Parts: sequence; structure tokens; C-alpha cells
Amino acid sequence: MTCSLRTRLLTGIIVGMILLLTVFSLLIYGVIRSALVKQFDTSLASVTHMLAASVELDNDKIELEFEVQQMSEFQNSEHPTHYQFWGPNDVVVAKSPLLGTDDLLRIEGSLNELVLGISQDKNGQPQRTAGLKFMPRIADSDDKNYQPPTNVQAITLVVARDVGDLHGQLRFLRWLLLIASAAVIALSFLIAAIIVRQGLNPLHSIAAGIAAISEDDLATRIGTTSAPAEIIPIKNRLNDLLSRIEDAFRRERRFTADVAHELRTPLAGIRSIIEVSLTRARDTDEYQRVLSECVVIVENMQTMVNNLLMIARLDARQVTFRHEHIYLCELVNSCWRPFSEKAKEREIAFENQAPNEITVNSDRENLSMVLSNLLNNAVEYANDAGQIWATANYTNDSVEITVANTGCQLTNEEVAQVFDCFWRGDSSRKDAGVHCGLGLALVQRIIQALGGFTTAEVKSDGIFTIRLVLSQQANSGRKGC
Amino acid sequence: MRLLVIEDYRPLQQSLAKGLREAGFAVDTTRDGREGLWYAMSNEYDVIILDLMLPGMDGLEILKKIRTQGRKSHVMILTAKDTLQDRVTGLDLGADDYLVKPFAFKELLARVRALLRRSYRQKSPRIRVKDLQIDLTTQRVWRGRDEIQLTPREYALLEYLAMRAGQTISRTDIWEHIYDFNSSASSNVVDVYIGYLRKKIERPNKPRLIHTVRGRGYVLGAQS
Repeated sequence: MTCSLRTRLLTGIIVGMILLLTVFSLLIYGVIRSALVKQFDTSLASVTHMLAASVELDNDKIELEFEVQQMSEFQNSEHPTHYQFWGPNDVVVAKSPLLGTDDLLRIEGSLNELVLGISQDKNGQPQRTAGLKFMPRIADSDDKNYQPPTNVQAITLVVARDVGDLHGQLRFLRWLLLIASAAVIALSFLIAAIIVRQGLNPLHSIAAGIAAISEDDLATRIGTTSAPAEIIPIKNRLNDLLSRIEDAFRRERRFTADVAHELRTPLAGIRSIIEVSLTRARDTDEYQRVLSECVVIVENMQTMVNNLLMIARLDARQVTFRHEHIYLCELVNSCWRPFSEKAKEREIAFENQAPNEITVNSDRENLSMVLSNLLNNAVEYANDAGQIWATANYTNDSVEITVANTGCQLTNEEVAQVFDCFWRGDSSRKDAGVHCGLGLALVQRIIQALGGFTTAEVKSDGIFTIRLVLSQQANSGRKGC
Repeated sequence: MRLLVIEDYRPLQQSLAKGLREAGFAVDTTRDGREGLWYAMSNEYDVIILDLMLPGMDGLEILKKIRTQGRKSHVMILTAKDTLQDRVTGLDLGADDYLVKPFAFKELLARVRALLRRSYRQKSPRIRVKDLQIDLTTQRVWRGRDEIQLTPREYALLEYLAMRAGQTISRTDIWEHIYDFNSSASSNVVDVYIGYLRKKIERPNKPRLIHTVRGRGYVLGAQS
């Protein structure tokens, strides 16, 4: 089905025209033919009746009126009309002079019934014949003593007429219909080609519109205002698609620009630190201080690059998971350990409210990465002497885990953005560069890949809660290994 | 010469401040946009080095406010945003220079020096006042053929006087351009440093270069 719309439409129109014309031609031909044949037969019948009427039985002798014999149609040797009479005992009483020695095929029905048939003359020319069996008229006589014949016997008359004329007319009709049909088809092909081309013009203009849209100029929309009604939905869908592509490109560009920005800033830091320290000779302590400063930046960059790579792999579905039953209370405790010291320094209280018995069927490594990220954020952004707590419970077919901390200063609008890449709550940022703004984006993507979803909310008392809902249905998540 | 660095990435801000101070500039730093605007409005900085993405207030916003208030400070935008549109926007809003991170510190210094020359209408990197010569790039000073060794502070003072050679400069002006915000020194210290500088550059057998204008300040070279 690779042929063009134009070819399809043209083929359809032409095949349809041929079919219609054939049917109509056959119909017309049939009707005219039967009318002509009927007319021919009527004429043949009238000739037959006339001949029959011209026969007189005179003293047991059959006589044919002379005028009748002289009628032109019996004289026409090219398309002749023949007649033959048979008397009793199959004796030929009279026949056309043109017949010579030949006989006509004798057909007859019951008395006074006209029988029609087809036969051939001696040259094999087709002719139509009419046979009539009739009682001859008895000649009037002035003789008083005349005794009408007592034994009047039926006479059979057969009239045969050459159908050359009829066939010629029919042949002409056939040719006329054929040529007319061919001409109509040829004309309709031309007209159809023009109409199809005109009809397909909006498609061409849409194609030209699409072709004119380059990768750098996705803001352009296909705008044929005078498009026909059938094309408008296509145009609208295409424009919708373009909008989505444009959005995707914009997001992609924005992401690339963000990545570049986030990598350039620490690079600028390292370069500046090194170059400034190289401007003059310095003592060992200073070099050590500079180098350890650089190491901290490099570590942060490494974390960011790892997070980016993980996000890229999750997006490309290249991460495989090994699902197992995990005791959440235990996992939360082990994830908290690295942050407990820092929390103690800032007098932040931590409470693990996850019940001992709650388990989740998930990937341990990735889930602990998620929890570590959340707890790290919580410690980072909780107020001094604030509180952090983690909970876990079963809901319908899923396990819900929350990590919450006090001291959040984000507004609801800002909270809606926390899962975006490179988003940081500016006002709560303690030191640019330490947090690259990928932690929660990574959390969201891991949870989605594990077959769940994340929500974030802030309450008026400054309690910030991240909720993870992990579906526990058998087919949830993408399982690997 | 006094600079303001508004940069929120602490490692970069600290190393910049350190490098610029070592190059003889008085440097104030801040990492918050609103605070940066306050600094820029309350002092006559020679050059402001401005990051664009800042907490508190966007860099471009600060630039707009500085310019609508008619501040003459030269502004160099220092950012990781490198697209043509970003540069054009920044420069059109009144920035004097645009440097993309990461950058070479030497280039930053050279650009800062170029901005300073521009603000004092000095095309040449070498200033001559009579037989006193100052190379702004290498920060070396000669009187006649003798090179004079100066401390960074002394050099900074001489450079500022030389940039505005022939003009009378008040003590406050000098103090504001030589000392940064955190400095505890008062404007009296200017007199002390003028004394040090005179000892080093004046020669008994040559005409005096630094003149005191009573009640108004000092002038290097002939009074205009």
C-alpha cells in the first residue's frame, strides 16, 4: 500500500467510471437491441399475416395475390425476405422466386399461432423466420352453384427475413457506445486528475509547511488558515505535536545549559584557586589548604556527575534492580548513621518511627540511596535544634515511607519544584556548590523506576515532608536479574 | 583601587578576593544579591565583579538598579552563562565587560586593569608624571632611571594619585579607594601613607611631585 493518494484517488475514480459506463452501456445496448428485435419481429409478423391474408383457396387451388408477390421487400436480393407456403401433405404451394430451388426451414405451431425462430439461408446469413399455420380464405364466387370446399386444409406459411440490417444497426450501436465510453473515460481521467490535484493542494501546502520547519525554529506552526475541514484536525494534531517537541527540546536545552552551568562554576572555582595560589611562592601550609579546598570541590563535582549519570541511566532504562524483602526500620537506621554526627552537632533530634515488622519488596541499594538522599537533605535544611522523623506503613497494595523535617522555609510554589533538576531553595542554600540540586530529582526517578511515586509538601508550621509510595503489586517496577 | 566581588560560590569568591587583594586592590565581597546591591550603592567602587545567578537578587537586577541610580562603577559580569543572548543582554543593561566561567585569573586581572584605565581615561598602561613612571601591568615605579620599591599599599596609593594626576583628591576619596570595607583604618592613615610615599619618591634635587592642598587633599604633579 505504498501508492500515492493521488494514484489511489485517480485509480478509484477511473475504475468506478469504467464499471459504471460498462454497466450502462450494456443496459442501453440490451434495451435498444430488444426494442429493435421486437420491431423487426413485429414487422415480420405483419408481413406474415399480410401474406397469409393474401392467400385464397379457389376451387381447392391456392392462389397468392399478384400484388403481394411484386412487393419490393420480396424483390430485394441483398437483404431479401423469403416466403414459402406448404399445403396439405407438405406440398410446397408457393415460394419466393428468389429462393430458387432452396427451401425454407419449416416451423409451425398450432393453428393461427405465430411462431418465431432463427435460421440461416443457404449462404449462412442469419435470418429471422416466422411460421404461421392458418386456414386459407375461400375465394368469393358469384356462381350460385358454387360449393365451398368441404375439406379446407390448413396451410403453413414461413417467412424468413435477412437480419443483416438489424445486425448492422446493432454493430453501429456497439461501436458508438464503446467509443463514447472511451471518450468519457479519457475526459474523466483528465478532469479527475485536475480535481485530485486541486483537492490535494492543502496536503502539499502542509507538507511544504512542515518541510520549512527546521530544528532550530520549532516555534513555527503550520498555519494554512484556509485549510479544508478534513485537513484541520491533521493540522491541529501536527501543531500539538510540534508544541510537545518544542517543549521537549526546550527542556533538553535548558537541562544541557544547567549541566554546563553547574559544571563550569566549580571548575571556575578550582581554576581560580590554583591560579591565584600560583601567582607567587607560598608556604607548604597554604598549598595544603589550597589542595584540600580543591579536593572538596572535586568531591562535590564527582557526586554531581554520578547523580547525572544515574539520572541518565534511569531515563534510558539501563538500570537493573534486584528485588528483595527489606525491613524498612533497619534500612532507615543504617542510612541515618552517616548523618547522626552532623545532626548531633546541630542538636537535631531524629526519630525512626518505622515499625519493625514492615517490609518492602524493592531494590536495597537504590532504596538506601533514596533514603540517604532524603535524610541528608533533612539534616541539611532542618533548623538548629529541629526534628527529623521517618515513618513507614502499609496502604492498599503499597508501602508508604515518609521523611520529614522541621524548619522548612519554602513556599508551596517552591515545594512544587523540589523534584526538578538543579532546583535549589535559594534562601535556604547554605553554600552554593555543595548541593547541586540533583538529589530529589534522582530520588523521584529512582522511585518511579522502582514502581512508585513521590510527593512533597510543606505545612504552615515549617514541616517539610517527602512521601514515597512503592507499589507492591507483583508486576510493578522494572525488574532485572 | 577598590573592587566589589558579588559571587555566591564560596571557593571562587574567596580565591578571587585573595588574588585581587594580592594584586593590590581593596576588595569587598558578598554572596547575596541584596547585600551586593547595598554595597554597590553605598560605596564608589572602581570595578564591580558581578555573578548573575545569585540568591536574594538576580545579577541583572542589581546591574539595572546600579545603572538607574546613576552609579559610575564599571561592572564586569562573571558568569557560567555563555550564550550570545546572555552576553548581549548583560552588556546592553550597562555592563562594561563580560567574562565566562571558567576563566584565567590573569585575564580577569588584565580586564580589571583595562576597566580601571578606562574609568580614569588612561589609554596607556604606563603613566608618566614628569619623570615619574608607573607601569600599571607589572606594578613597577621609576623616578628617572631609578626603580622605586613600594609596598602594595604604597603602590595602591600612588596608582590612585597617578590615575587622577593633576586633580586634587580628598582624603576620604583616597581612603575609600584604597581600603576595603572590613579595614579598621581611618582616613588619618592616608596622611601616614602619603608621608611614606613622599620619602620614597621625592628627590631633594628634583621638583616635588606630591603637593598638599590645604583643607582639600593631595595632588600628584602640577595642579590643573
